[in-house]
Amino acid sequence: MTHRKATIFTRRQFLRTLGVTAGALAAGPALSACGATALTAAPAATAVPPTAALTSVPAPTAVPTVAAPSLKIGVLLPYTDIYAALGENITAGMEMYFEEAGGVAGGRTIKVIKEDEGTAPDKALEKARKLVEQDEVDFVTGIVSSGVLAGVRDYFDSNKKLLICSNAGANALSRGAKTPYIWRTSFTNWQPNWPVGTWAAENVGKKAYISVPDYGAGANTITAFQNSFEAAGGTIIGVQKTPFPNMGDPAPFITELAAANPELVYCFYSGGAAVTFMKAWGELGLAGQIPLMSSGFMVEEDVLPAEGDAALGVRSGLHWALSLDNADNAKFTEAYKARTGKDANVFAVQGYDTGRAIVEMINAVEGDTSDVDALIDALGGISFPSPRGTFALDANSQAPKQHIYLREVQNVGGALHNVVIEDLGEIVDPGDDSKG
Amino acid sequence: MSASQFIFQLFNGLVFSMLLFILAAGLSLIFGLMDVINLSHGAFYLLGGYIGLTMVRQFDNFWIALIVAPLIVSGLGLIVEYFFLRRLYGRHRHLDQVLFTFGLALIAADLIRWRWGAYVESVPGPDELKGAVVIFGALFPRYRMSLIFFGLIIAAGLGLLIGRTRIGAIVRAGVSDAQMVSGLGIDIQKVFAGVFALGTALAALAGVLGAPVLNLYPGLDLEILILALVVVVVGGLGTLKGAFFGSLLIGLANTFGKALIPQFSMFLIFAVMAVVLLARPSGLFGVKGN
Repeated sequence: MTHRKATIFTRRQFLRTLGVTAGALAAGPALSACGATALTAAPAATAVPPTAALTSVPAPTAVPTVAAPSLKIGVLLPYTDIYAALGENITAGMEMYFEEAGGVAGGRTIKVIKEDEGTAPDKALEKARKLVEQDEVDFVTGIVSSGVLAGVRDYFDSNKKLLICSNAGANALSRGAKTPYIWRTSFTNWQPNWPVGTWAAENVGKKAYISVPDYGAGANTITAFQNSFEAAGGTIIGVQKTPFPNMGDPAPFITELAAANPELVYCFYSGGAAVTFMKAWGELGLAGQIPLMSSGFMVEEDVLPAEGDAALGVRSGLHWALSLDNADNAKFTEAYKARTGKDANVFAVQGYDTGRAIVEMINAVEGDTSDVDALIDALGGISFPSPRGTFALDANSQAPKQHIYLREVQNVGGALHNVVIEDLGEIVDPGDDSKG
Repeated sequence: MSASQFIFQLFNGLVFSMLLFILAAGLSLIFGLMDVINLSHGAFYLLGGYIGLTMVRQFDNFWIALIVAPLIVSGLGLIVEYFFLRRLYGRHRHLDQVLFTFGLALIAADLIRWRWGAYVESVPGPDELKGAVVIFGALFPRYRMSLIFFGLIIAAGLGLLIGRTRIGAIVRAGVSDAQMVSGLGIDIQKVFAGVFALGTALAALAGVLGAPVLNLYPGLDLEILILALVVVVVGGLGTLKGAFFGSLLIGLANTFGKALIPQFSMFLIFAVMAVVLLARPSGLFGVKGN
């Protein structure tokens, strides 16, 4: 009897444990990322020790008597979990440029120290601290997730350390939460969506339904698109905010969208959610029935092969396209494919441009990174030809001033790619919420 | 919500429910007999999906993937059981089991990423099930429709296996009292190994069946594990019936939640779980006080 009782107790207790476990797992990124930490210590551990760098490449600057210490760049990008592919693409693009530059900037050998951003802001903050305080990097670059960017903002701001953000697009960092120490080489969430709103109202339809994931970037997408779409005479007939990051099966959402009979659907999903949404959209027979438009990430080259024919005809706005016709893009896309075996995508371009921006910045200060204000001045002044056109930073929004291209997914020689159908002009974030 | 919309969402919900059932049945079986909560169940799901992907690419045939991937994964399950899990049985070793299986899940996630990369991969469904059927004037994908039947067939098959066969009787006896079964001269270790293999095979089967709907990407393993845990807790630990009706409840709650209150559809799942646990602390079909 007593034995039986013990079993009962254990089971009950266990049931409770199980519930708690499920809850904890649902709380999600924190746990998964903390687990991931141990697994990804490797990249940092394999970094070249400073002494090796010291002896290798002599500085090509004026008097080569004393070799300059290596330039230590902290790279904080996701190498695990849902954003892993983005981290890999940005890293590949950046390392590609560093190699093109001979691994040297401002006479100093470039040394990259990588840490895993994961998805949890608190964990990422620890990594940022580690890079700055333990590895004593000259500055940090990376950050894919807007949540993480918000989480590390105060640290870089109060420590007056430069962070060059190569993806996360949260509008706030160019507006209310702006700090002189965080600059972006990527975009603001407002940029790819705002010009498309006008174009959609003028060319596609006046009644739009918006579907976005329920987090910061989704909210930025809604306000930007709505602002210009309504200004051009359009009406938003519904807004659907879906759970983030785990959307599950999107079919119920799509059923609701279709039932509202919109003249166009505007959405923003990325990664796994983009593929899942797009495929269900096709399976439910809506591809070609209701015009689908999106922020360019939803049909970017990283997810397009998996999305397949359902994505045909989807029109989107972005600051780059594989087919963009300029000499630098042709050279870049070819080299990237040769290097990775995959078509380039916007994240790789951002990595590549970040790499060049870093090298140009360090060249401008002749390798002297001791004065952060001088470093920021140099960064603000750089301009160079990039795969996305001319790369230059806007001093007000501390993000690129760049053209947004309207692209359409077409079958190009047997494979799906984004083809530029219109240049929507140079788009600069207003630096405040006046335009959505 | 109009009547036709309601019916359409009902079908959406049933598809998701059946996918959940195939996934959760394995988890529930393993817990029921072995008293082990397998936090690597999601990893086995994802691994099944990725092996299925490779098979589909290799042979251009979904059905081969559907059979072979679960076999391979159940083989891995046997290895895991034999070399590791077997050392961790016992009433006071739940923490060890949870730590081990969660650790295994993390290692598996990294190995999967190493082998298949971090890009999102989609798996095409079988050619035979391409296209759509018309429900109330709207198109419903044939493959999704067939998932409902797959789920029901697997439910019936498992029901027969557990309820009507000698092996099933041994497993049921083992759930009640493993020591007694052992005392009757039955090698309970072998039964444990068999059930673990079956459970992981079911996870892999769900992985292959789910891939055309949910696709494959890093992180999906945890996403899916949470849902399976919720289903098992709601349905009652260790019972097949519980897994079935728990899946229906959670699948439908999730679907109608998405339709009606999209922002809070994930919370709704946990709200349902909380309400069920308050009303019936051992879950819908959990044996009272056991």
